[in-house]
Amino acid sequence: MFSSASRRDFLRYSAAAAGTMVVGNHFAWALEAPAPKMVITRWTGPMPQSPSEFQQAVVKLTEQTVQAMGGISRFVKRGDVVWIKPNIGWDRTPELGANTNPDLVAALVRLCYDAGAKKVKVGDNPCDLPAKAYASSGIADAAKQAGAEVIFLDRERFRETDIKGERVKSIPVYPELVESDVVINVPIAKHHVLATVTLCMKNYMGVIENRRLFHQDIPTCLADITRFMRPSFCILDCTRIMLNHGPKGGNLEDVQVKLTLAAGTDIVALDAFGAEILGRKPDQIPSIVKGQQAGLGTMDYRSLQPKEIALS
Amino acid sequence: MKRRIAVRRWVRRVVQLAFLALFLGLVLATRPVPGQLPSEWLKVFFFFDPLILVLTGIAAWGVPTLALLAIVTLVITAVFGRVFCGWVCPLGTVHSVAGWAFDKVQKSKPGRDTWSPWQKTKYYILVGALVMALFGGHWVTIFDPLVLFYRTVATALVPGGQWAVETGAKAIYKTNPKIGSFAVTDVSEPAYRYFRDHVFVIPKQAFLGTGLIVLVFGVLVAANAYRRRFWCRYLCPLGAMLGWAAKWPILRRAVAADQCNECGLCTTACHGASAAGLGTGWKPSECFVCLNCSTSCHRDTCSFTFQPLVWKKEPAVQPVGLTRRGVFWASLGGLTSLALLRATPQGRASVYHPRLIRPPGARPEPEFLARCTACGMCMKICPTGGLQPAITEAGLEGIFTPHLVPLIGYCDYTCTLCGHVCPTEAIRPLLEEEKHQIKIGLAAFDTTRCIPYAYGRNCVVCEEHCPIPDKAIYCVPVEVEVRGGQKRVVEQPRVDPEKCIGCGVCEYVCPLDDAPGIRVFSTNETRNDRHQPILPESEAEFNSPY
Repeated sequence: MFSSASRRDFLRYSAAAAGTMVVGNHFAWALEAPAPKMVITRWTGPMPQSPSEFQQAVVKLTEQTVQAMGGISRFVKRGDVVWIKPNIGWDRTPELGANTNPDLVAALVRLCYDAGAKKVKVGDNPCDLPAKAYASSGIADAAKQAGAEVIFLDRERFRETDIKGERVKSIPVYPELVESDVVINVPIAKHHVLATVTLCMKNYMGVIENRRLFHQDIPTCLADITRFMRPSFCILDCTRIMLNHGPKGGNLEDVQVKLTLAAGTDIVALDAFGAEILGRKPDQIPSIVKGQQAGLGTMDYRSLQPKEIALS
Repeated sequence: MKRRIAVRRWVRRVVQLAFLALFLGLVLATRPVPGQLPSEWLKVFFFFDPLILVLTGIAAWGVPTLALLAIVTLVITAVFGRVFCGWVCPLGTVHSVAGWAFDKVQKSKPGRDTWSPWQKTKYYILVGALVMALFGGHWVTIFDPLVLFYRTVATALVPGGQWAVETGAKAIYKTNPKIGSFAVTDVSEPAYRYFRDHVFVIPKQAFLGTGLIVLVFGVLVAANAYRRRFWCRYLCPLGAMLGWAAKWPILRRAVAADQCNECGLCTTACHGASAAGLGTGWKPSECFVCLNCSTSCHRDTCSFTFQPLVWKKEPAVQPVGLTRRGVFWASLGGLTSLALLRATPQGRASVYHPRLIRPPGARPEPEFLARCTACGMCMKICPTGGLQPAITEAGLEGIFTPHLVPLIGYCDYTCTLCGHVCPTEAIRPLLEEEKHQIKIGLAAFDTTRCIPYAYGRNCVVCEEHCPIPDKAIYCVPVEVEVRGGQKRVVEQPRVDPEKCIGCGVCEYVCPLDDAPGIRVFSTNETRNDRHQPILPESEAEFNSPY
């Protein structure tokens, strides 16, 4: 059902890559060091002054981040069906930072096709009216232009699934999404009134229905659904971050432009990084603490020696 | 000879079905499209309806400019007679078809389809409605055929079809039947998705009170078994208004009396029962110009001709024969009905129904009722499906008028569609910025139900969904004692009455689906000046004389 790159898989692939890619000297980095577990890319150039400059910066950030992670082909194999899961929660425009940046999603779609993906699908289960959220977020148009199939998650097609969680035993899950070969989790970093922050783990709330009940014990429920999803690759969008009135926002004053991306295979580490960029301490975020306890990753992201890149 | 004439009847039938198809098409086209405002064409049938123009014009003293198009209908009627009833009206076509079908089962008896004095009823209904309108009453809701049919299609027939498609496709999807190597879902799922995205658009759309709406419609259709086009002949006040306009039409029926053998074929075929006898006594006010008389005549004695000099006696025209006494009693009836409708606590505006949450842009209640026809266009287009027909909330006078039921659907923050489809501007068309300033109600927590209050657990789904950028719902951390003396801090949500616009998304998303922990009431609604009991926080706005 999944081709999740576990650590063992990863080592095997790296060894294979090291063995076979000697020929191409643009893969020379693969010989020098194993592909990193986490990459943080920051824009250090002049602040983009127009939407198109912003878009170019986002695309460049995306491409460089994925490249540094070892290329998208590390996760997406030829012929794979890929589901890109951005946050399309709200009927808000990109500037308001309530949804994942559309150009980031589009750039990812193109990278997946370049790696030989058979089909790239993009979809989320929005909180606002789906048609409006898809349109105002800009993601529907951007993803379609990049060649992706934009899918509305039909509430009538969710399937009650046994996920064997600590608290959540069974929950309606969207079959087409979880049956894809690869699911790339692409959330945006935001303030959240209850979870205090919403990051990678919280983004998985978009693959299920009946999530309103999660709020009564959000850390355990998030850990349950994350364990079920077995994340292979996440990119945390910090190009714009929302610092207050989350998760829906609506004020430009609550949004800060950071032009930063974090990518990796350890979802808890990414969330810890996201918490810091939002001005929180990871060990104060219950879902991150719970994630580490549940063995989903480490909140000490620095221990993974993330590769830090400055772009301009 | 006969073949040549039958063509006319078929032309009429094709035109009727074309208008019916157009009407149904426009109902289906009334759907939300992101980033687009609905076209004025969607309301075109209502704009050409003179009953809406006259009654709304009198009752509310104001109609949208395009509603003046109904004058065209009156002029056409004055020239050609009630062609609207016979050729255009979609409800008339439904009755046409039903009457034709019933006639297949039980043959028309001679005399059944000649003029009956009871056909005057519709004129007296019109008189009553006009008198009601003079005093501000507006019961178009009940009487207008286009409104009645639109409401039936939009709130009952379409949702019925949607239910069939959605449950049918889901059953196939779940059982996943296969014929050999062919999976049925390969066909059913794309078909379902087409209907979902391009026909129904709003998932699981359904309406309160459809049983009542369908019952009225069903009884009217069934009445065709008693008399063909029962509604059109006896009850329809729009027909009565057009009948009045068609008193001396230029297009008239002429019978060559010396050739007529009074066989009665023409009266048996007559849709409107417009002849008093066999081939004689033609009343143009009752004639739908269906052309069945001239089509059915074996001797070709009956034909329609133009008589531009309307004062000429030939071809002869018979009046309907309303009596002064009848008009008097009808007027008194209209007045009495209005008094009885209005002599209620709500009608006197001394109380407000807490759950009568009108859509944003709705006018103050009396003015709203004086305009709203309860056609259902706003309910059909509401993207959350939250606008529902009122059954009891607005009193008998306001039956089937729109109100928001947040448990079913909320008022989407950036949506202004209802005001843009309203054919009488009972709901004003708003800009998005204007809408954000309008309060349609106020949310209130039920602390005996709300999870953080009642059960000491976190929840705040309502706060998360509140669309106001600065949040009308805010949270206060409160230490609560749970069983066993243990202390726990939970986020307790509160409502800021100055920010809350009453959109109802909080009530909609509350995990308690039966009786939500937060509910919206009509309190503080902008449209009713005297229904604003919560004082603003700032002292400057509160100019108390004391």
